[in-house]
Amino acid sequence: MSGAIVIGASGSWARAMLKISPYTFSAIGIAVAIGVSVLGAAWGIYITGSSLIGAAIKAPRITSKNLISVIFCEAVAIYGVIVAIILQTKLESVPSLQIYAPESLRAGYAIFASGLIVGFANLVCGLCVGIIGSSCALSDAQNSTLFVKILVIEIFGSALGLFGVIVGIIMSAQATWPSKV
Amino acid sequence: MSSTFSGDETAPFFGFLGAAAALGFSCMGAAYGTTKSGVGVASMGVMRPELVMKSIVPVVMAGVLGIYGLIIAVIISTGINPKAKSYYLFDGYAHLSSGLACGLAGLSAGMAIGIVGDAGVSRFGKFVEIQFDKHGRI
Repeated sequence: MSGAIVIGASGSWARAMLKISPYTFSAIGIAVAIGVSVLGAAWGIYITGSSLIGAAIKAPRITSKNLISVIFCEAVAIYGVIVAIILQTKLESVPSLQIYAPESLRAGYAIFASGLIVGFANLVCGLCVGIIGSSCALSDAQNSTLFVKILVIEIFGSALGLFGVIVGIIMSAQATWPSKV
Repeated sequence: MSSTFSGDETAPFFGFLGAAAALGFSCMGAAYGTTKSGVGVASMGVMRPELVMKSIVPVVMAGVLGIYGLIIAVIISTGINPKAKSYYLFDGYAHLSSGLACGLAGLSAGMAIGIVGDAGVSRFGKFVEIQFDKHGRI
């Protein structure tokens, strides 16, 4: 108890930010986690899918194998759903006197940052896997020995989404609300 | 009660944003590097499939950038604990700047790896092809 110093806002911007409810930040974080992840997955799927369908006109044998690229993009959306559900279970109700307490503010900021991390990591991962998947389909149509080799590159790309999920979940463990007294 | 929280109230915002910047920008760099060099490898591999496995090196190097961002983001986010150690605005800004440093450096490194990897693998394919020309044409 002694030695604990809580410094409030020192400037007008800080005072304004302290009036924003932590639930606002949490809600935006959860929305970004799922919304931007799904954006990345959809972007990747349409890039891969259009190349795949076009290349399959002359080489119909590539269709069933190259659906793996579409599945890798879809996995990015599933990571977003999982993290959004985990973040939303971290929300707790606190008594109205405690909503603007420093601990609740910190919990709100942690959920916000966690959602941002997951959303944007999955966005770039989905884009990366989509573009590599489209190249994979096009080169597989020309030479079928290339499929497995280009798939190795796609696996490196899909690891980026996993990094986002790992950091998002580690950061969401910081979201501890004050206990109800 | 805020009796155990010690430090500035707005500081964790900047700290967590630093961790987000570290991972977010590094992943953007890693994705750009992987994409650009991967497309180069795929188009080169159509003509010379035996060189593809050697040309995956830029992709691996770009993937490592994502790991750097992951490490820094985890270090930052486990360092924000106002109950155990006071967390002032100074600490928040320090975490923000370290996250931005790691992230933006990773972004630029990833873009460099992508552009150089793409150019490198396409020249690599062409170089070996020209060397094997029968009439000694260089």
